[in-house]
Amino acid sequence: MDAVHSCFKDKLGQAVLPGDVFSFAVSAVEDSAVRAEKVICGPGLRRNGDEILVCKSGILRHKAPNLYWIDSQQKRYVPVKGESVIGIVTAKSGDIFKVDVGSSEQASLSYLAFEGATKRNRPNVQVGDLVYSQFIIANKDMEPELVCIDSCGRANGMGVFGADGLLFKVSLGLVRRLLVPQSEIVKDLEKIFPFEMVVGMNGRVWVKAKTVQQTLIVANLLDSCENMTAQQRQTLFKRVAEGSL
Amino acid sequence: MRETPLSNCERLFLLKAIEEKKRLDGRQAYDYRNIKITFGTDYGCCTVCLGKTRVLAQVSCELVPPKDSRPTEGIMFFNLELSSMASPGFQPSRKQSSELLVTLNRQLERCLRNSKCIDTESLCVVSGEKVWQIRVDVHVLNHDGNLMDAASIAAISALCHFRRPDVAIQGRDITVFSPEERDPVPLSIYHMPICVSFAFFQQGTYLLVDPCEKEELVMDGLLVIAMNKHREICSVQSSGGIMLLKDQVIRCSKIASVKVSEITELINKALENDRQVRKEGGKFGFAESIPKERITALKREQAPVEMKDIEETADEIVREAEAPSEAVHSPVIVATGTGQVGEGLQNTWGLEEEDAEEEFQGGMDGKEKKKGTVCVCVCVCVGCAGFTHETIVQLV
Amino acid sequence: MAGLELLSDQGYRLDGRRAAELRKVQARMGVFAQADGSAYIEQGNTRALAVVYGPHEVRGSRSKTLHDRAVINCQYSMATFSTAERKRRPHGDRKSSEMSLHLKQTFEAAVLTQLYPRSQIDIYVKILQSDGGNYSACVNAATLALVDAGIPMRDYVCACTAGFVEDTPLADLCHAEESGGGTTLALALLPRSENIALVQMDARLHQDHLDALMEAAMMACKGLSKVLDSVVRQHLQEVSVLTRE
Repeated sequence: MDAVHSCFKDKLGQAVLPGDVFSFAVSAVEDSAVRAEKVICGPGLRRNGDEILVCKSGILRHKAPNLYWIDSQQKRYVPVKGESVIGIVTAKSGDIFKVDVGSSEQASLSYLAFEGATKRNRPNVQVGDLVYSQFIIANKDMEPELVCIDSCGRANGMGVFGADGLLFKVSLGLVRRLLVPQSEIVKDLEKIFPFEMVVGMNGRVWVKAKTVQQTLIVANLLDSCENMTAQQRQTLFKRVAEGSL
Repeated sequence: MRETPLSNCERLFLLKAIEEKKRLDGRQAYDYRNIKITFGTDYGCCTVCLGKTRVLAQVSCELVPPKDSRPTEGIMFFNLELSSMASPGFQPSRKQSSELLVTLNRQLERCLRNSKCIDTESLCVVSGEKVWQIRVDVHVLNHDGNLMDAASIAAISALCHFRRPDVAIQGRDITVFSPEERDPVPLSIYHMPICVSFAFFQQGTYLLVDPCEKEELVMDGLLVIAMNKHREICSVQSSGGIMLLKDQVIRCSKIASVKVSEITELINKALENDRQVRKEGGKFGFAESIPKERITALKREQAPVEMKDIEETADEIVREAEAPSEAVHSPVIVATGTGQVGEGLQNTWGLEEEDAEEEFQGGMDGKEKKKGTVCVCVCVCVGCAGFTHETIVQLV
Repeated sequence: MAGLELLSDQGYRLDGRRAAELRKVQARMGVFAQADGSAYIEQGNTRALAVVYGPHEVRGSRSKTLHDRAVINCQYSMATFSTAERKRRPHGDRKSSEMSLHLKQTFEAAVLTQLYPRSQIDIYVKILQSDGGNYSACVNAATLALVDAGIPMRDYVCACTAGFVEDTPLADLCHAEESGGGTTLALALLPRSENIALVQMDARLHQDHLDALMEAAMMACKGLSKVLDSVVRQHLQEVSVLTRE
């Protein structure tokens, strides 16, 4: 048990580079002590026989009991099944919408994949609209497909956006920090003034506040959170809340 | 590569913000972004950063026979390239020769050549046989709007910075001295024409100076006025099919004269700095101008965003706001495995199986809800690309 | 050309005109049977021919189709015999591409493209003899051709050049005056609403003179619009006489 975790432990929280190897030298002396253990390799780690190779540069992270992954910085999104993203509708062809999600290929979204949509009752989606949807098919061999309903057939918060609000792009790392359940950034932002926010895993964030000015402020603050430490961020937000910026 | 299309939501927001006189980065309607001019180690090499737009200009010279129609004048040649690294929409294929490329090139030529900012007669070495050909190459490195202004500033700064080799004529013999033998000679420049771009919105009602990329996508049309600091207009060009009124053009020219004098100051200061550094023998060039140990990408410059009356309006909003709708469940994650085509969509065929399905799904739902919060955290990270199947046994 | 006076002391120009006088304009509509609309115009010694096809299906790349407007496609070319020296490259060089672009923009503003979504209108202009004011002759010819083709427009588009010599604005420059080194301003105007569709100026001019120069160009355009108007009315009369029972 410890053999594996101890390999990782000294590199935990440190930056690793592609090509670093974690090998587990299992001594064949004591049979009783050798047990089969599960180690889940997250993104950035690949198994290669008995070794684990690092293939992305970033910080090694760990989540109990046995999950390891590399926290890397990336701007371009690769579709993964089950992730919710914000897409822009680019074309309507036949029965499907072509949606741009910022990846290598445009995803397709069937017009029946909306809540309450039937062959007669088409959803009201125009070219250029924003949709919040999740991937139902996303692998390297097929064109990605999106749906705006969950497996029960309910919209569950997904669908077409209204007309207001501002859409802007951030890096994937910031998006992950925003989507953490008790995200500090979101908590700090809430204290300033109320606003609506939708975060897509492809790096796109939609923000809407009561006035245009507030929307712009929130957008600029989120953009600047990218490279700030928690301390700097809190000072900045405090200054903003006092209205002195 | 295809560029990200502009959504209706962004377009509407931008137009609304412009009506309220607010810009995305907090500038005023007539403000320029931060201009940074740096020179390279060679004479005639200049980079201009206009906000995030980056443009590089290089001047070079060559001795050639002159044109037949003008035997006593030197030749000026301008070329602007849209590098593919500047924007995903710039394709390397020459066949397209996009509109933007033609417009920029022609505008640059008109601004610098027709205004006769360089004394071409002084470029003549032997009349009818040898003259200097000055070549200005401008490369666009990053496109964040307003390429025209950045290109014109870069071109004129590079021309002012450039030194051509000294030439001595004895009868029919021409000796060109290398930089080591004799100091190179600067070009004689009469004046510095600089382009100022005005973007029009809502059929000409609203006017912005120095549009950024998003604003350029939404604008109705563009007016480019090239002026020098002596308040002489060197070129006027309207494009984009807008309807202008004469007063608007006059007003723009007045704004342009103010901006141009500011920018000319900046250029002169940068040239002066560079000259000082070279004289004192200090280090100069691009490598010195890039700050070390500083984050350069994904960062935001300090932007002035209007903050008046935030507290009061915020309180007011909180008081008047309705209760927020229910929190949304986390999205359903299905275990990975082989292709799962068509799973999750609703059955639209018959109605008989509906009851059976509902029961089953009700059960599933209950289970997922409990694991809801935990799911999100793990899948957020695991969801990113590239993990092997074998090592994943079970997702929570 | 150094000694040539562009404006003599008595107020006469090189070809004997006064400062604000236009050259003689002659035009004919419906010169080709094949095209949907065509026109021929002579402005002094400058001769231009314009032909309009459309609105028709979008040819070439289908991706250029706009879902709510018509696409206007312009091509400008000069005949090889149009200038004093034989023109090596009649079209495809930068100047012609720029002219085509400007024409396209001018007419996109003037033609009611919302009436013909997903279609294309072609405008082909050729200069048969060039003696200054190429752009203006093209615009005037294209306006007449569009009127001949029956494509709805907001107003006539009239264009004219103006120059500045010794504090006096000159209207409708010929080639010698253009290349004499003075200022040249080309203006395309919708006369009734005084909206400027395109303004283009080269060479140095002091800011204070801009107003006077533009005013002169606008007066010239209005004068030209009257001439074009009379040509159209005459053509209509001829046609209606022939088709009347």
